[in-house]
Amino acid sequence: MKRIIPIVLLLTAILTLTGMAHAGDVIKVGVPLAMTGPYTDTGDNYWKGIKMAIDEINADGGLLGKQLEPIRFDTQEFAPERVMQGADYLVGQEKVDSVHAGWAGWGQDVRAYGKYTAPFFADDGSQAAVDVFKEDPEKYANIFQLTDTDINQATSMFNVLMALPYEYPNKKVVIINADDAWGTGVGDTLETKFKEAGWEVALREVVPYGTREWGPIMTRIRRIKPAIIHVEIVSAPEVITFFRQFMRTPTDTILSYGYSIVPREVVETMGKEADGLIGEVPTAMPTPEAPTPEAQAWVERFTEIWGHQPQAGSWAAYSGVKAWAAAVVAVGDEKDHAAVNRHIATVGYKGETGWWKWDEDHVMRGGGDVPFGHYQVQDGEMVTIFTDPPTRPYKDYKFIKPRWIK
Amino acid sequence: MDWKRMSGTMALIYGVMALMPLFVGGTDHLMHILIMCLIWAVVASCWDLIMGFAGIFSFGQVAFFVIGAYASAILALTFGIHPLAAMVLAGVVAAAIGVLVALPCLRLKGAYIALVTFAVHMILEPFLKSDMGRAIGTGGSRGILTIPPMELFGITFGAGDKVAVFYAALVLAVVCSVIIMLVIRSFWGTAFLALKDSAGFAASLGVSAFKYKLAVFALTSFLTGLAGGFYGHYIGMLSTRMLGIDLFVMLMIMLVLGGIGQFPGAILGAIVTVTFNEALAPLGTYRPMVLGALVVVLVLALPDGIIGLLRNLVPGRGAAEPAVAESTAANAGGQG
Repeated sequence: MKRIIPIVLLLTAILTLTGMAHAGDVIKVGVPLAMTGPYTDTGDNYWKGIKMAIDEINADGGLLGKQLEPIRFDTQEFAPERVMQGADYLVGQEKVDSVHAGWAGWGQDVRAYGKYTAPFFADDGSQAAVDVFKEDPEKYANIFQLTDTDINQATSMFNVLMALPYEYPNKKVVIINADDAWGTGVGDTLETKFKEAGWEVALREVVPYGTREWGPIMTRIRRIKPAIIHVEIVSAPEVITFFRQFMRTPTDTILSYGYSIVPREVVETMGKEADGLIGEVPTAMPTPEAPTPEAQAWVERFTEIWGHQPQAGSWAAYSGVKAWAAAVVAVGDEKDHAAVNRHIATVGYKGETGWWKWDEDHVMRGGGDVPFGHYQVQDGEMVTIFTDPPTRPYKDYKFIKPRWIK
Repeated sequence: MDWKRMSGTMALIYGVMALMPLFVGGTDHLMHILIMCLIWAVVASCWDLIMGFAGIFSFGQVAFFVIGAYASAILALTFGIHPLAAMVLAGVVAAAIGVLVALPCLRLKGAYIALVTFAVHMILEPFLKSDMGRAIGTGGSRGILTIPPMELFGITFGAGDKVAVFYAALVLAVVCSVIIMLVIRSFWGTAFLALKDSAGFAASLGVSAFKYKLAVFALTSFLTGLAGGFYGHYIGMLSTRMLGIDLFVMLMIMLVLGGIGQFPGAILGAIVTVTFNEALAPLGTYRPMVLGALVVVLVLALPDGIIGLLRNLVPGRGAAEPAVAESTAANAGGQG
């Protein structure tokens, strides 16, 4: 024991001094994402975009001459104390100068990070998060949402379903959503929209994550023979098993997967088997052909680094880092959080597809240069067929009637 | 463990905890960890009382915690009740539900009680998210995001003043621990042991299993609900994410590490588990794996938990007592 103590003290001293020497040369960036638990896949999508942005900035000589150092934090299942712990650890203890999250707590994160001043970027896609922001916009001036709300995304899904060049055999819809804030928000909005349009919501099911056996629901679906089934469960096993059990005896139905299309495993597992499915991505980078040469170059870089097309969230998270970095350069001081936040809120950021402008609630609303993207799986890969708003076909890509519809 | 050693160990643990803000009081992140250690210490101790001492295989402790948290938040938000009173009432609500759950449970034994109590845990999430839940103010899938902090004597016990919250949590933990200790050392504790070791013989001596087990259900649900209420007012927001499997598993680890039926081992178990879990955070995706492996190693190396190790390191007067504790732990798995 007597020998160990001096070694431990020496190591501690070396590590402390190394850390101190290192501290002046870097800008710390907080990255709270789910690294374990059911949200790991989406966390991974965000991380790919964030890492890519940080690596690019560092390769170009850093930000204000300093290298960016990502500090990761596992948000696990977003339990309230975990969300708060992330804020206290990253901003309170590690003193990061910006925080880049993805799904981050659907409003809990606004309260946790709103205590601090460092810019916080999230992809909550949640009206609940916006409602918290609206309580005190001044206090939450550092909060920026990278995507539009669940309500607006669901409205966009509905608009595109109605705009498809396809004649529905009837006006019956089945809506199945997960029992979380996202799934419920989308399901409720779609139900309202369909009813307003004179459709019959023949079945509305709210299911927990982990549902793999769809037999009872399929029996009812086959009796109803709906024109549209919308599934909103952002987890690959659930949506893959649903599709495969549907395909045993398919009905003449458009399968709309909304945001559930995004887990990479969906197209990677099913490949061409998934052809015909449609889905939606907010803050979308249209693929396979991007809208501008700069965006196309970005898609190619991403594909080269990660070996697949960009997934939902990757580009949004990437752009969050770049927007913050641009603001820091403009302000000239990464520690002047108030000025950086003001710059982001008032000036925005010029990205690969055009301008990013946050609205008065600090939400990146769908539209303009950053629209909602609507995809169909074609030849085993996601292809953008519509952008919205305004609802219009994307380039020359066409909706293809799914093979199971007679 | 005898009375003196039990109270001495508790005094040492909480005494050391009480000094911690002197060293880390300025670091919110570390203060938060300490606060969570104290809150989980209460929950784990209650679970230990009902499972380790009373021998009731209840898996509903997290559910009672969440019930308490939501009840206190709703009472404070909807009815404008002072958070302190809301916490106490939330404990009463949790106790009432605990009694309702206990009534059918006490007709069952062993794993069947575990099934029924875990069903409460499983049912709670869909209920909180349902229209009925929303109607009573649970906020559905969104949760509750604007819970007021407790204010007493001009001090706000919210996330903005973690030192104040820490000392409030310390008072809560000490009070709850003393209550649990008094129960264990009272006629109740003896009755629990008698019922576990020989239910028939105990009954022939006039020990009513139904009465004592119902009482312990009510008491542990009350204290757990109280801790849940405290948690809600401290964090300021609640969501059904609390009912994820992660927290449930962590609590179980606290109990096993501390030593089942080895009070105040559960307190130590909570502190060690929360600290370990945070220390392993840099491992990211490997954290659950390493934590799991550590638990396996510790359980194999310390079958009586940390408290068993301490007892071996510092042998005291009651050398024969471990046998009682071992009997307690063994019977916890054997009888309901």
